[in-house]
Amino acid sequence: MSTSKYTTVSIPRSLYNRIKRLVEETGFKSVSDYVTYVLREVVAMHEAEKYEEPFSEQDLEEIKKRLKALGYI
Amino acid sequence: MGKRLFVLGLDAAPPSLLFDRFIDRLPNFRRLLEASVYGRLRSCDPPITVPAWMVMFTGRTPGELGIYGFRNRVDGEYNEFKIPSSRDVGYLKVWELLARSGYKSVVVGVPPTYPPKPLNGWMISGFLTPSIKSRFTYPPSLRDEVLSLVDNYVFDVVFRREDREAVYRELIDMTINRLKVIDYLVDTKPWDLFIYMEIGVDRVQHAFWKYFDEEHPRYTSHDLFGDAILNYYRLMDEWLGRLLNRLNDDTALLVVSDHGAKYMKGAFAINDWLIEKGYLSLRGDVEPGTRISEADVDWRRTYVWGWGGYYSRVFLNLEGRERMGIIGREEYPDFLRDLAREITSIRGPNGEEWRNRVYVPGDLYSRVNGNPPDLMVYFDDLYWRAAGTLGYDNYYLPENDTGPDDSVHDYHGIYIFKAGGLRVKGLYRDLSIYDVFPMIADYYGVSLDGVGGLRGSSFLGELT
Repeated sequence: MSTSKYTTVSIPRSLYNRIKRLVEETGFKSVSDYVTYVLREVVAMHEAEKYEEPFSEQDLEEIKKRLKALGYI
Repeated sequence: MGKRLFVLGLDAAPPSLLFDRFIDRLPNFRRLLEASVYGRLRSCDPPITVPAWMVMFTGRTPGELGIYGFRNRVDGEYNEFKIPSSRDVGYLKVWELLARSGYKSVVVGVPPTYPPKPLNGWMISGFLTPSIKSRFTYPPSLRDEVLSLVDNYVFDVVFRREDREAVYRELIDMTINRLKVIDYLVDTKPWDLFIYMEIGVDRVQHAFWKYFDEEHPRYTSHDLFGDAILNYYRLMDEWLGRLLNRLNDDTALLVVSDHGAKYMKGAFAINDWLIEKGYLSLRGDVEPGTRISEADVDWRRTYVWGWGGYYSRVFLNLEGRERMGIIGREEYPDFLRDLAREITSIRGPNGEEWRNRVYVPGDLYSRVNGNPPDLMVYFDDLYWRAAGTLGYDNYYLPENDTGPDDSVHDYHGIYIFKAGGLRVKGLYRDLSIYDVFPMIADYYGVSLDGVGGLRGSSFLGELT
């Protein structure tokens, strides 16, 4: 088993080229740095979602109002 | 080129309308039937939208999913409930199964998929979405694409109201807008599986059934509304014609409904019946039509209470489970059996025999998760809806208790399957809603190894 801190994932070359162009105008050193940054954000968002309530109080009111108008409750 | 399948879900479309009564006026569906194998699709028990669509796309029973309707009771509470969300579906969906083999899916309108979970593809959640202000798509940027196509993306219409002209207009607008979005997704996303579920079919049937069906006890001839349901199907038919032109011949098409529909005979006020039989006690009088959650129930003297809907959920006030439970654990089995027998023998308003079906969830499902009712009751083969409200002089109500409703659900929906190389065509045997998940997997040649415990099986082997 490799002990390296890094591994490789594949992305379409067209996407790689788009990121490369994008990265040129930012402070990121490389496409890998940028992709790591973006993925950390997205993954953290999805991890947090798992623990959030799916419906806010306002959402619940909205749905219950509709279900009541529909005669379901 | 890889395999592609478009699944069109028509909520509540019954064989009686689509295969029979309307088919001569639906040229595209007619052409589709001629090129397809089709038949009846037996729904799950209970045959209702939530959980049926998720049963279809996971191959799992409502018991396994722990979803018994759009209300799911909160532990130990009498009338508090939770609305199911995507988080409540703990089993693999068919689009997740296909994603393992690299297939991309578009999923629109399937309940409960709000809030949308990440998937290998694109999703617009179904009618249990709070509003268009919610994050109702995956990826989140798809929401902007949708709202740039249509001003108002509507998840559902309020059909139980007397201004039916407005209901019809809203239904048509909702559907036309959704079809615009569907056409856009069909054309612009590189999908392998496309699932589009339209709730409008169910809504138009509930709102307008009595205007066309002469067998309906409250049949009302009406110039404008007589063709409301037919015209809705024609709208879907015209769009189907365009869709068939858009899809190439290699794309298979599966049209399905989650349950059927038929005219409603009336509503049975289960809680008033329970009061009369001494199972339910109130403090003081109540106005007719009071919701049980708003009635002053004497829980220390109440053994049983019921929830309404297209089926009735009957709960026993069990010691140690309910906050003020009074039925001891040791009495429970006999109590349940006797109550089931008594409910089964309920007769109609004129003493006529009813075909009631009374189920214990543990007898229907191999696993019973969540908060199931103690008994699930279909009055007179579903012809009588269950009213959860109470305070009436007579527990046989000629109309629905919670606003106008003209139809109830039925056990059988439909399936129509068109694909290249079908040896069998025409009307075919009944399938089960549990067969859809393994069938879609089979179509793509995706293995179900490791997906144990499925009830259904693929019928594709019979067709080629």
